[in-house]
Amino acid sequence: MDQGILLQNRTLFRGMLGMILVALVIGSIGMVIRFSEGLRVTNLGSIIPWGLWVGFYIYFIGLSAGSFLLSTLVYVFRLEKYEPLGRLALFQALICLVIGLLFVFIDLGHPWRFYMVYISQNWHSVLEWEIHFYLLYIVLLAAELHLVMREDFRLLAERKRGVRRFVYRLLSLWADAPTPRIRERAATVLKVCGIIGIPTAIAVHGGTGAIFAVVKARPYWYSSLFPVIFLVSALVSGGGLMLFLRAFFFSNETPEERDMLAGLGKMTGGLLALDLLLLSIETLVGFYGDIPEHVATLRMIMFNGRYAWAFWILQVAIGTILPLIIFLSGRASRSVAALGFAGLSIVVGIVSVRMNIVIPALALAILPGLTEAYHNIRLDAVYAPSLVEWLTTIFALGLFALLLVAGLRLLPLGKNRFWQRATLAEE
Amino acid sequence: MHDTTRTRKKMDRRTFLKRSLASGVAAATAAAAAPSNAAEPKAHPSKQLGMVIDLKKCIGCNACTISCKSENHTPPGVVYNVVLEEEVGEYPYVSRRFLPRPCMHCKNPSCTKVCPVGATYKREEDGIVVIDYDRCIGCRYCIAACPYDARYFDFGEEYNATPTAFDQSLSPEYGELRKRRKGRSPIGNTRKCTLCLHRIKKGLQPACVDTCLGRARYFGDVADKQGPLWQMISRRSHMRLREDLGNEPSVYYLL
Repeated sequence: MDQGILLQNRTLFRGMLGMILVALVIGSIGMVIRFSEGLRVTNLGSIIPWGLWVGFYIYFIGLSAGSFLLSTLVYVFRLEKYEPLGRLALFQALICLVIGLLFVFIDLGHPWRFYMVYISQNWHSVLEWEIHFYLLYIVLLAAELHLVMREDFRLLAERKRGVRRFVYRLLSLWADAPTPRIRERAATVLKVCGIIGIPTAIAVHGGTGAIFAVVKARPYWYSSLFPVIFLVSALVSGGGLMLFLRAFFFSNETPEERDMLAGLGKMTGGLLALDLLLLSIETLVGFYGDIPEHVATLRMIMFNGRYAWAFWILQVAIGTILPLIIFLSGRASRSVAALGFAGLSIVVGIVSVRMNIVIPALALAILPGLTEAYHNIRLDAVYAPSLVEWLTTIFALGLFALLLVAGLRLLPLGKNRFWQRATLAEE
Repeated sequence: MHDTTRTRKKMDRRTFLKRSLASGVAAATAAAAAPSNAAEPKAHPSKQLGMVIDLKKCIGCNACTISCKSENHTPPGVVYNVVLEEEVGEYPYVSRRFLPRPCMHCKNPSCTKVCPVGATYKREEDGIVVIDYDRCIGCRYCIAACPYDARYFDFGEEYNATPTAFDQSLSPEYGELRKRRKGRSPIGNTRKCTLCLHRIKKGLQPACVDTCLGRARYFGDVADKQGPLWQMISRRSHMRLREDLGNEPSVYYLL
């Protein structure tokens, strides 16, 4: 089996499942409270209407789009070297999208009216466009995943009994044994899906950046560079997550696999450097431009805000410098564990990037004197997530981990060695 | 500039036809009776209700804020109208300045543009920016996009733990007569100043205009350049908030 340490070692695996279970149980309390009491249980307000949940929403959409774009290396650009990463990339993309949308759902004042976006349109709204792109994107992802794993599902179904057999049959959509022609056609469809997917994924995350970039009322958001930064950091985070999963959930026995990981590390490192460059441009232009609200937002993020530590520790130290050191050093950049660790630290660091996009720009009431004009806790320009916001977040993160681990354990996501073996046996 | 409702588009076409027809008729009559001084129909752009606020008369009493709250039954944290205060100078040369801020009912609203479900829109007939509470999903994008911070989210909080008779009475907002109940709109929706649409329908003025102690507020059609509001605006120094953004607010401040 090509399963890595976290799946092979029983104690570690059980410990992981236990943690996920605890997260889900504790988190579900928060979910129940949120859905019975509404948004009053949050610390959001009318000055800072978006907080932790929206931050995590763009975080997961970014992870998803980044992962998907990496999958196109395999299915569109046909880079043989990265073939074993293709399925994992698609799977990551699907799970992250689902969790991202869960965060939006939790965040809505009337979540059960979400269907309104499909029956009542406003084509001037970037958010409206985004929602349609998400739907197209999820269909593409599901189709691609089905196509790449269809044969494995069929073979797995033959080997299993009972419920599992049925589930695998269902996932294969009762596909017959493929003829070479069918395989060829599937590869073509896959490529077409990937080609449609590239602009879609760009629209999915670049567009998510545009949700903020079109708000002219807030100079920090109002920047054409914003959607680009979103895309680059999405690629970085997608690469980070993949490095982490591939390093610790797969065995990486062969030199080719280790070589592939090192290559992925280099790619992620390059993108991270580009991300750093874009961030510097955005920051320096902002400070030079000296527009009061813009500078105030930047200063809040970097120096005098209550979360300035998050910028320096999470975003800069953990999310950027530490992984860059690993990618640049000769020894570490070839060690599987070090690469996985670099991936993890990117994935953690980007959380702060996302929060710093959403919250500080809002924490500045646009009209001076507004927060003093009328005193109410909902009209304060300070925000710290409430307990329920944290609990629901823990639930969603737990669900993310559960889906991820379940997929890694039950789906043929690695190199399709299993399938190759099976077909050989068949012939 | 950008129209955000389908009705608006239809109306635009209609007004366009009307106007071209009118000008055609005018041209025809002018040609038929050349010397006569045919009264041309007033070429108004469509109606835009708005306000003129005379800052010299504002004493910062917040009667507007309070009357608005009681008229629209707004919960804690929802204030359609606030009075911004500023202290300028140092003793003995010191004064306080007040700036009442209702919704600006912009000609080019940022909020209606971003709404993913078209729940908030600008009414064609009078230019008031309204929210359809039953369509609004509560995403709060409009709150983030409004350059005047004039939108508020109804988190479902109450003033009294046990509701008083007033708390239980129906809110007249939009003439929809809603009873405040947990989980029901407008709880979970964005809310904003409607220029007291329900009062306008009855021929009354907005509550804030009615209550203003210093008579600093005037209500009317700001698109009517020959109307009573422009009579004031044109004679005094005036400003609108954040003109640089191009939203073209419909609230004029006399300085």
